[in-house]
Amino acid sequence: MKKLFLPTLTFLFLNHCFAQQQFQLAPPVLQYHAAFFTGYATVTLKFAQPGTHIFYTLNNTEPTQKDVVYTKPVVINKSLTTFQAKVFGAGFLPSEKVQVTFIKDGLKIRSIEQPAANEKFAGNGPATLFDNEGGIADMHLKNFLGYLQDSVAVQVTLEKKHKVQSILLDFLQNESSWIFLPQSIRVYYYNANRNAYERIGEKTIASDSVMKGSAMVFEMVKFTKNVFADQFKIIIEPLQSIPEGHPGKGKQAWLFIDEIKIY
Amino acid sequence: MQRRNFIKNTSLTMAALMIQPSITFEQDTILGQGSKRYKINTHWSQADVARYPVNDCHEMIQDGKGRILLLTNETHNNVLIYDKKGKILDTWGHEYPGAHGLTLFDENGTEVLFICDNSRHQVIKTTIDGRVLMVLDYPKETGQYTKPEEYIPTETAITPGGDIYVADGYGKDFIIHYDASGRYLGYFGGRGNEEKHLLNAHGVCLDFRDKGQPNLIVTSRQQNAFKRYTLEGEYINTISLPGAWVCRPVIKGDYLYSAVLQTNSRQGEHSGFVTILDKNYKVVSNLAGSEPNYVDGKLDDMYQTVKCFSYPHDVCVDDEENLYIAQWNSGKVYPYKLSPVI
Repeated sequence: MKKLFLPTLTFLFLNHCFAQQQFQLAPPVLQYHAAFFTGYATVTLKFAQPGTHIFYTLNNTEPTQKDVVYTKPVVINKSLTTFQAKVFGAGFLPSEKVQVTFIKDGLKIRSIEQPAANEKFAGNGPATLFDNEGGIADMHLKNFLGYLQDSVAVQVTLEKKHKVQSILLDFLQNESSWIFLPQSIRVYYYNANRNAYERIGEKTIASDSVMKGSAMVFEMVKFTKNVFADQFKIIIEPLQSIPEGHPGKGKQAWLFIDEIKIY
Repeated sequence: MQRRNFIKNTSLTMAALMIQPSITFEQDTILGQGSKRYKINTHWSQADVARYPVNDCHEMIQDGKGRILLLTNETHNNVLIYDKKGKILDTWGHEYPGAHGLTLFDENGTEVLFICDNSRHQVIKTTIDGRVLMVLDYPKETGQYTKPEEYIPTETAITPGGDIYVADGYGKDFIIHYDASGRYLGYFGGRGNEEKHLLNAHGVCLDFRDKGQPNLIVTSRQQNAFKRYTLEGEYINTISLPGAWVCRPVIKGDYLYSAVLQTNSRQGEHSGFVTILDKNYKVVSNLAGSEPNYVDGKLDDMYQTVKCFSYPHDVCVDDEENLYIAQWNSGKVYPYKLSPVI
């Protein structure tokens, strides 16, 4: 017993004196004008805590201390580049990562017609969905159209006919504010030969009730074949029933969309 | 290996394993910048959670005996009284479900408390051990209120003569002025588009650092600012604190301390820290927050850098310059103590 006494006492002493938890660094402050760009985009990070460094990647991997140290704003010119950053510092646990995917402008859009959004989230004028603004996960920004309805039918008209292979839609996901990704997206193109809209792509999205925080998520709908067209109809079906485990279980979810791109 | 030795060795190994994390973490975490740096102790409170539960820990003060008083909206014990080492000395109070603001006042040599109760829509003056001395109901004399529910007081400030200023920080953001007996004298502030108006007037304090011109400092939390007024309620100026949801201003010596509930860049994400301003209202240190940076006299956005606080709600500075940080909605944690690093 005597032999156990000393280690136990030492443990209690050390525990009492030094059992301070090790703290995690907060994520760096990520700033960019918009996630959408024509020529290039610039991303800036801020983290004024001496003794720490921000590391970043552009290749879809979680930053480590072997990656590039952030020293000045980073220029992005390749579409669908995901910028990820994380702070490290001696004596602290590394931060969670911040990330943003930059999306290059697609084919020139002449107009997008959509149903009137909820008056509280009515967007920023008729060009809201193709103004290259937004891609920032803050539901209060004017870049979003917010809907609480069964389906949202959007009509997109290009400046001129093009060979088209896919459509990208950018959504906000913020489960704690009952904003979920849509459950399905269906795309139709106008077939002039037949004078009719024909289905050319669709996507279904599964939702869960896990709170992931506020984030931008883009959904790419790849067409079953390339089409030569200038008019498209997109039917977006917001999540009709919030999943089990969420306070809004069974209720209709909000849909927040801020941009559409045609490639 | 004999069984006895095995047990002995295992025990020693286990003890060593248990010690290991402590040794790894023995380096203290130092928060803040410049001459205002502190060592954090999250285990200051020795309160037994089964006997002395807390809910939101809203505000703290130190009384003349050196004791630390904590106000919580847990009606099992609304007031916990600690010594500076974190030992519970006493508790009282079961009738303050919305306990929020706690102010100490030395009334001719006798210390009294002013409690703002969000749920009761009242300000209650008590003795230091909880006997009720006066209750101020909703200020219908202002002509701005039609029912008690519109009035959700968050803080009081008391002048040396006993005048009471109440901040209706979760109600209509007016500052209501009474004399020492509770007689209504006037109001100012409220919401609007002018500089003199307030949005979430969460705290109020008296600033006597400029001897010639004492003034009131009022929080306008959603505007990320403090606003200064004369004791008559005339607007003086705004101290802008970009990004910071400041709670009440607390003045000790030359410095102003304030808990920052959260920051704009990460709202709803436990992004709080503590800010310290000098007597010229310049931020000199952010504890668990970004190093303050002024460009052409303008303060850069501030934000959390170390996740050691969730939603800090008040700072109490004791007679030895230690800080005690009370937190709102932070998993019912007891206050943390921060000791200055010299």
